[in-house]
Amino acid sequence: MNSLDRLIKEKLQREIQAKTRRHFIKDCVAGMGGLALGSFFMSCNSFLGNRDTAKIALTERDINPLASMAPPFPAKVKSVIYLHMAGAPSQLEMFDYKPTLQKLNNQACPQSLLEGKKFAFIRGTPKLLGPQAEFKQHGESGNWVSNFLPHFSKVVDEVAFLKAVNTDQFNHGPAQLFMHTGSPRLGRPSIGSWVTYGLGSENQNLPGFVVLTSGGKTPDAGKSVWGSGFLPSVYQGVQCRSKGDPVLYIDDPKGITRNLKKSTIDAINNINKKEFDEYSDPEILARINQYEMAYRMQTAVPEVMNINNEPEHIKEMYGVRPGKESFANNCLLARKLVEDGVRFVQLFDWGWDSHGTGHDTAVDLGLRNKCTEIDRPMSALLLDLKQRGLLDETLVVWGGEFGRTPMQENREGQEMAYKGRDHHGDAFTMWMAGGGIKKGASWGLTDEIGFSALEGQVSVHDVHATMLHLLGFDHEQFTFDFQGRPFRLTDVEGHVIHEILA
Amino acid sequence: MEAILQLIGRLHPLVVHLPIGFIMAALLLQWYDRKNKEWSNIIGVLFQWAFVFATIACISGYLLYKGEGYSFETVKIHLWMGIFTAIFSLLMYLRLATSPKIIFIRRVPVVLFSFSLLFLISFTGHLGGNITHGSDYLIEPLPNNIKSLLGVGPEVYEMPTLEEENWEAAILYSDLVQPILNNRCVSCHNAKKEKGELRLEEANGILKGGEDGLVIEPNEPEKSSLYARMILPLDHEDHMPPKDKDQPSKEELDIIKIWIANGNPFDKSIGEMGLKKESVQAFFPKAKDDTYPDVEVAEIPQDTIASLKKKGFHVERISKESNFIKISCINKPSFSDQDFDLLSSVKDQVVYLDLGGTRITEAIFEKISTLPHLTILKLDNTAVSGENIETLEKLGYLKNLNLMGTNFEEVHLQKLKRFKKLQIVYLFNTPIKRPDHVDGPKEGELFIDYGGYDLPKIATDSIVY
Repeated sequence: MNSLDRLIKEKLQREIQAKTRRHFIKDCVAGMGGLALGSFFMSCNSFLGNRDTAKIALTERDINPLASMAPPFPAKVKSVIYLHMAGAPSQLEMFDYKPTLQKLNNQACPQSLLEGKKFAFIRGTPKLLGPQAEFKQHGESGNWVSNFLPHFSKVVDEVAFLKAVNTDQFNHGPAQLFMHTGSPRLGRPSIGSWVTYGLGSENQNLPGFVVLTSGGKTPDAGKSVWGSGFLPSVYQGVQCRSKGDPVLYIDDPKGITRNLKKSTIDAINNINKKEFDEYSDPEILARINQYEMAYRMQTAVPEVMNINNEPEHIKEMYGVRPGKESFANNCLLARKLVEDGVRFVQLFDWGWDSHGTGHDTAVDLGLRNKCTEIDRPMSALLLDLKQRGLLDETLVVWGGEFGRTPMQENREGQEMAYKGRDHHGDAFTMWMAGGGIKKGASWGLTDEIGFSALEGQVSVHDVHATMLHLLGFDHEQFTFDFQGRPFRLTDVEGHVIHEILA
Repeated sequence: MEAILQLIGRLHPLVVHLPIGFIMAALLLQWYDRKNKEWSNIIGVLFQWAFVFATIACISGYLLYKGEGYSFETVKIHLWMGIFTAIFSLLMYLRLATSPKIIFIRRVPVVLFSFSLLFLISFTGHLGGNITHGSDYLIEPLPNNIKSLLGVGPEVYEMPTLEEENWEAAILYSDLVQPILNNRCVSCHNAKKEKGELRLEEANGILKGGEDGLVIEPNEPEKSSLYARMILPLDHEDHMPPKDKDQPSKEELDIIKIWIANGNPFDKSIGEMGLKKESVQAFFPKAKDDTYPDVEVAEIPQDTIASLKKKGFHVERISKESNFIKISCINKPSFSDQDFDLLSSVKDQVVYLDLGGTRITEAIFEKISTLPHLTILKLDNTAVSGENIETLEKLGYLKNLNLMGTNFEEVHLQKLKRFKKLQIVYLFNTPIKRPDHVDGPKEGELFIDYGGYDLPKIATDSIVY
């Protein structure tokens, strides 16, 4: 009897000792968490609410976020190549011919033009600076192009100019964000993300939105210019490098064969599949799909990013430099990517900030070199797309984040050794070419010195509205709900620029 | 005093429910008591109170009509029916009273009064509701197909339009401004309803203004309440049109603004006012997309599309509003002639077919010629030579044919020229030599793009400045 009592006592003692304070707290946490979790399960369409997998209506998008979707309206183009000249090219040396500015060269700028304007570097009263290039009318359209772009002047009939684009930002970062996301502040999705979100991708083995950079630096605004903002991150741009591995870490690690990789992914996917059978969470299917796509990309991306297999005459036409990072390589890659069904190809070329602080940024020297760098490739891109029947269904957009002043920059109020121009967003030139674009059109007119718009001023939002229109969207209806309200690429503005549409 | 009267008027929607409640209760009691006839006294008392409140409701209703600018036409029937309700309640009370003094009332069956009151109470209430909420209030939430069944199809809102040829001759006021007002404002501001004592259906009313004075301050849209109240935030209590009504579009607001800013002329044309085309751009009829045939085809069932996708085809409708589809073998380079039969269920719908880079041979032409609406055909980078291509002549809509990178031979080129609608053929990278001189594309004629474009080397290519 005594021994039994002792045994029971001992057992109770053990039990009490086994339950430490830690256990108590742990139990509480699990309990509280469980309570909270319970409400989550009921609130969203996840597992507990819907155990029966057969009853869940999964859309294609649940399984593959890049699955292609029909545009709301018939589209004129299915892909976009956006050539962005980061730093803001001088429209006055390339497309906007101002003979009067030549006559007024070196005269003090009238005060009336400076009042109420903000400049990044100009101080006091600057002098006007005549065009540093010679202009001629080209093609049947008779549009003006300078001698800085001798090749482009031969394809000028393919494009439509916007001569009076307006932005309210005068510093690179915000202006680039505005140009690519519709807002000068961080946090909005880029155009490419919107388009990939809205249309998905045709090629199952390649990303839908590819970014290529050249000029030695990435844009001032950073990777947010191809970010996905509040859209799911799967829609952000994938930066591919034109030298070395196109996508970092895409190669198999040393000692891992392709077959081993495949079995690894299969094993992970099998576990995930079991997980899905149990919980029916569509996120798991999306994950399975991502693994498979990454595996396919391992072969597809290096293949499409290899320009060495292109015939010699094509390489010559673009002026490519294999193995180097160049705008020409990127233009050729852009064509290859679009040919392979990539939705949005974004090119950034850095080095257009012609302030005149040195030889490379002088509008008569460095700018001319930059023009030579892009002249042949971008003209070749248009011709190559055309001969392949791709220009009909591709939209090519060219432009910077703003334009440059008709005045010569006078940093700190001092006269500068090289000729340069300051940032200026009131009226600058962009062009578009491709499906649905009126060939040889020119819309917008600037005043005699190219300072402000007289007619046909269009905003950055208008440019976006037009791009979406050509892709089959009504920019006012294409929204994404975030933070309690629907968001648009064009926010609350934007008109389609019908004057440049065919 | 005025304010108190208006207040009493505005209490009308509250007060009306009292007689309704009494009458309904009394009618129900009558029904339960139909055999025993024991509760007549109580029921009588209920009708007595019903009469009192119905009278108050009539008075408050009258004050509301006076105070809020309803026209007599609008409230007439409702008003009379209300008065009748009060009278019938009184008659019913007298009929049920223990010792009716008036003889003839005793002869009228109670049932007659009951049904009259039931009818009056429902119909008066309905009319009242129509006045406050609008006559389409009840049926509005119904699905459109039921509405059209009831013969009250949804009101299709038509935006005024301008014509491309003579838009400058259009009168801004009568061709744009008034139609916009008709669509957005006139349902409340007309001779009948005249809310806020404002009429917007014609020039005099617009110029006269409403109870708060003029609605147009010439040349100053921001100060003109006609425009200013329309651009207030939707939640603002002065916002017009009321927030549950359809709102004018941004373009329509811009037109009103432009009209007032230019001194609200009633007879000037758009051209005379010197307006630019871009400010009226939204009012031109949208150009119809004519890329694909203007033909209706059946919708493809979702599972058919899904099964095609499973087989590796890229299949997509050309837009969400069309049943036509686009098919591409971009993810299916193994496609060969036999695989074409997989597409037989969607023959009518295919307008865009991309077989680029696949393993097709000349035998494919025969099969492709069974796609009646095919408009764009891509056979680039395949081994086809052009033998049998004449079978494609059957395709009455074929516009765009891509034969780039194929073995297409010059002998077959003539056949393409007989194709009716064919506009462009791409022959880059084929055995065919590009002629020395090629004319540019001409409207309505077949253009052959031989490709092979070149950018000759020039001296400036290598100069570094």
